[in-house]
This record gives sequence, structure tokens and C-alpha cells, in this order.
Amino acid sequence: MSDSLAIKMEDVRKSYYLTNGEEIKVLRGIDLEIKKGEFVALMGESGGGKTTLLNIIGCLHPLTDGKYFLEGENIGGVRDDYTLAFIRNKKMGFIFQQFNLYSRLSALNNVSLPSVYAGIEKSVRDKRALELLDTLSILDRRNHKPTELSGGQQQRVAIARSLMNDPEILLADEPTGALDSKNGLEVMEIFKDLAKEDKTIIMVTHTSEVAKFADRIIYMRDGKIIDNDYQLKSDY
Amino acid sequence: MYIEIFKMAWSALISSKIRSFLSILGIIIGVSTVIVVVGIGTGAKKQIEEQYKNLSATQIMVMEMKGRGAITNSKLDVDDVAVISQKVSNVSNVTAFVMGNSSVSYGKESSSFSLFGAKPNFFDITNLDLSAGVLLTEEDDESRAKVAVVGSGLVETLFGEDFDINLAVGEIISLSGTKIQIVGVLKENGGSAMGKMSYDDAIYLPYSTAEKTVLGSNAQMMIVVLMDSVDNIETGMEDITTVLRVEHKLKLSEESDFRMFDPGSMVGAAQDSANTMSLLLISVATIVLIVSGVGIMNVMFVTVAERTKEIGIAKAIGAKQEDILSQFLFESIILSIGGGVIGVVLGQIIIPILNRFDGWYVVPSIYGIVLSFTFSALVGLFFGFYPAFKASRLDPVDALRSE
Repeated sequence: MSDSLAIKMEDVRKSYYLTNGEEIKVLRGIDLEIKKGEFVALMGESGGGKTTLLNIIGCLHPLTDGKYFLEGENIGGVRDDYTLAFIRNKKMGFIFQQFNLYSRLSALNNVSLPSVYAGIEKSVRDKRALELLDTLSILDRRNHKPTELSGGQQQRVAIARSLMNDPEILLADEPTGALDSKNGLEVMEIFKDLAKEDKTIIMVTHTSEVAKFADRIIYMRDGKIIDNDYQLKSDY
Repeated sequence: MYIEIFKMAWSALISSKIRSFLSILGIIIGVSTVIVVVGIGTGAKKQIEEQYKNLSATQIMVMEMKGRGAITNSKLDVDDVAVISQKVSNVSNVTAFVMGNSSVSYGKESSSFSLFGAKPNFFDITNLDLSAGVLLTEEDDESRAKVAVVGSGLVETLFGEDFDINLAVGEIISLSGTKIQIVGVLKENGGSAMGKMSYDDAIYLPYSTAEKTVLGSNAQMMIVVLMDSVDNIETGMEDITTVLRVEHKLKLSEESDFRMFDPGSMVGAAQDSANTMSLLLISVATIVLIVSGVGIMNVMFVTVAERTKEIGIAKAIGAKQEDILSQFLFESIILSIGGGVIGVVLGQIIIPILNRFDGWYVVPSIYGIVLSFTFSALVGLFFGFYPAFKASRLDPVDALRSE
């Protein structure tokens, strides 16, 4: 096991069971290696298992079978809430298509929320959150509620939030899906910069325009990876 | 960290003020009801204590039984006092008195009062205290002295409200034409052991003076026996019956020519009924609190359902189940304690208003506040736990997917 791997998966399977007992196999044996600092896009058809894989990487879902090494440690069998919450809090940063900000909280408080759950004191939290808002050029919006922000601004707040506890890995599910193309491109530029800062980024997308920003594209179909280094057609 | 979670809970409640208020309305009503009800209970007990404060729980009253069936004449008389004190065991004191009504006048004022012909130890046994002057003595009794001890109510009626009752000592009053000198005035007492009759609106003469001079054959005679302990009341009553039946030479077939009761049991009964009433009212208020708890649970379920997505986000960014649980639990506890505080305040406002109405006597009590407040907090904890627990166990992905 190489130290330079952020994530390694061996024959990871995920099934859902319907109420009548029928088994729905969503992931049918995933083998995957993602290096530290790599920017990977997950592409594939709808229902192919991209989001499920992302959720398993992010410890939001338990896997049904297989091995999942995070920084060299097999966490596939971990079900303990404390450990999983710790990983989600410190090791991962989530970015969603619909931003998923707390509508009652200001931009600043949204950004600092992961540190609240990490038990970090307010002055330290606020300092870090303000720095992040500044880096993402939305410092002047710090006291605005999400409803008072544009989509692009909301996604920047969400990115700032994902970076709050300085995680190694960023997980993004269609991060540009709710944005116009200009804002979408801006978000991608931010991702590129983060990748340069050695963040490992795993992004689910179905658009080639977005995927082309990644170092590597993984293509999925029917719960399997069919191409570990998918090449976009040249017209993109 | 709990402070932060508490703040989040608070801001969530503030963001839906009307719902928060409606959900605690039941708690407010329940808590203020408990407080008022406990106040009513305390008031009733106080009133009873007040009413019977000059009454000893160890008293037995013996009185004549007249004009019923074959009994035409009761043989109960003052000599029975000596018989009881000699032959009945565990007796600590015995006295006899006659009573009736008489018109008393002072100057132009005149009114009807209860009249007691009392042996000197009467005041001991009935716990009546002197405010000014002296009590009646053996010599007064032997010489049929025309002296009297009077109650404070009598002085107020005859001498006027503003008159200092202590200054009545030495004054001469007229009792059905007989001149009597006041030698003592009693402190204000309240009620008496004998129903509505008050020891305050009464005049006390030496036994012999009352019996021979004033009341004559209209006198109603009573013996008061003071037992040494409440436990001996029952056997005391049996013994007195036996001793007096022998003394009055009654045949087995004959009914007793006297009857008796113990006022202590009346107090007990009154207190019991007051307790029963408070208990009943408190149970009603408790039901209100429980129902309002169900209301809070309902609201919390709706809140959890509405904020499912938020719970998913919180989990995705690293909230533990424990964090989610505490947040929702805080919310329900804030609601119930908030309702409790408002309820306590409301109760304190209602009590003086109720006391303005006739026949209401509500005494605010710490016990009521503590009881209702603790209970409302527990209601919040208990009924808030299940929704909060459900919220904490939500699957993060399912929660994120909900809209």
C-alpha cells in the first residue's frame, strides 16, 4: 500500500433491499485507486452508481462488502458513529449541487459550522471562516443569509464550509449543476486551484465541460467502473 | 460545544415564533393551573387550621341527649365531671360548661351573644387566651359572682370597631337585666369547635352564675374531656360511655341519655376532604401537562420532518448522532421550560386576582412552583426524546435527499 494513495477500494459492493426483500445491486465490485492531490471526475450514466460511490467514499453510506482504505487504513467495516462523524468532519469536505446551506444562518456561520461540531472555540473559528470567505472573494457577504446570495455566491460559501476543517479530501456532487456556465466555470477554477494546493478532489459530474478540468476521469456503468482513465472526445 | 448547540436550538425556535408559542400554550395552562390549584389546596388547609386552631385534637365533647324517644330527661350534670376524672383512665383534664344565648347590652347598644357558664379550667381546655384582665376563678363560681370574661367580637359589637378591646375591663354590661362587670377580655380566636358559633362573639360567666341566674332551665350542658393522647380518644369514648351509663343507672335496654363526639376527627375529616380536592385538581392539571407534552412531541416530529435535510447536512459536515439528539432535545426542553416559566408567572398573576373574589382563598406556595416547573421540564425531556432520537438516527443520505 503506497503512502501516496488517498483512497483505495477493493471489490466494494453496495446493495439496497426493497421492502419485499428484493436486492438492488448498486455497486457491483469497485476497484479504485486515487492518489493524494489528484483531481478526479466521476462520470457515467444516470443510475450508474456515481453518487452512491461518492457517498460511500464520504462515509455517508456503509458499504455492503469489500475493502475501503482511507489513507492506508481499511475503514470498510467501521459502523461506529463517533468514528464516521470524525472522518466526515475532519477528513472530508462535501460540496453539493444544491449548496445545502442552512437558511437560518449567515454565510459566516454556515462556513464555521463544521468547526462547531469539531468543538473549536468561536474566536478561532471565526478567524478561519473569515479567511476562507476572503480567499473565495465573498468576505463582503459574510453576514448575508443564503437567500440573499446568488447561486455562485452560495456555492462559494459551501466550498468555504467544506474547507473549514482543512480536510484532505473534497467530495463534490454535481457542484456546477445549479449554476449558469459563467459561475460554473468560476467554481471549476477554484477547484483547480485547490487541486494545486494538494487537495484530493473527487467530483461527480455528467458534463464533459466540467469533467475536463479534472486530472483523470473515471467512467461508471451499471455499478462498475468501466474505464479508469476515460478520455473525452477531442472536440471538448 | 453544548453552548453552541443550545444556541442553534434557540435560533431554530426563534425562527418559528408562532409555532413555538402555540406548542407551549398547553404547558403554560398546565403549569399555571397546577400553581393555582396547589394554592387553593394550601389556602383550604390554612383556613381549616385557622378555624380549628383553638381546638385540641385530644378533646371529647359529651352532651345531653334530650327529647328523643323514651328519654325525657338527661341525668348529665356537673357531678359527672368528677366521675369521669376519677374512673376513666388516660384523662388529663375535664371541665363542664353550660351554654345558651343571651341578649347583652352596653349603653344603648344591644345584641345577642353566645353565653358560656364555665368552670375555671374551661379556658385551659379550649386554648382560649386572655388579652387583658383576669380569668374566672373558683371563688367567682362558689359565690355566683356577677363577673364575666368576654370575647373580642362582643367588645367590638358593643363598644365600637375602633375601641381598644383591653379597655373594656372594668366596664359594666347588662345581661337580661342583670348587671355584670367585665373582668377579662379574650384574644381574637376565629372559629370554635362547635360549628358556626364563635368564641369571639361570646360572654363567659362563672358556671353557677350562668346556670342559676341567667340561663335557668334553658341551659345546654356539656362536658369537655381532654385525653392525654390522640391514640386514647377511642377507648376514652368507650370508657366514658360505660362509666356514665353506670353513674346514670341505665338499664341495658335503655339508650344512653348523652352523646359525644371528638372535634379532632372533624378537623381530620375537613383536612382529608381538602387534600382529596387538591389531589383531584392536581391530577386534572397533570393530565393537561401530559397532553401538552404530547403536543410538544407532535410539534417536534413536524420540526424534525421539516428539517430532515438540515439534519442530513449536519451529518455530512460531521455532526455526531449525539449532537443532533442534543439539539432537538434542547429545543423541546427550552419549549417546556419556557412554557413553565410563563406558566409560573401567569400563576402568580392569577392568584391575587382570584383572591379578590368572595369565597376564594388562594395561598401561593413554593411547593406548587417547584412541582409544576419540574414536571414541565420532565415533560419536555420525556416527550422530546423520541423525536430527537429519531432525528439523530436518520440516514444521512436519505436525509439529504429529502426536500
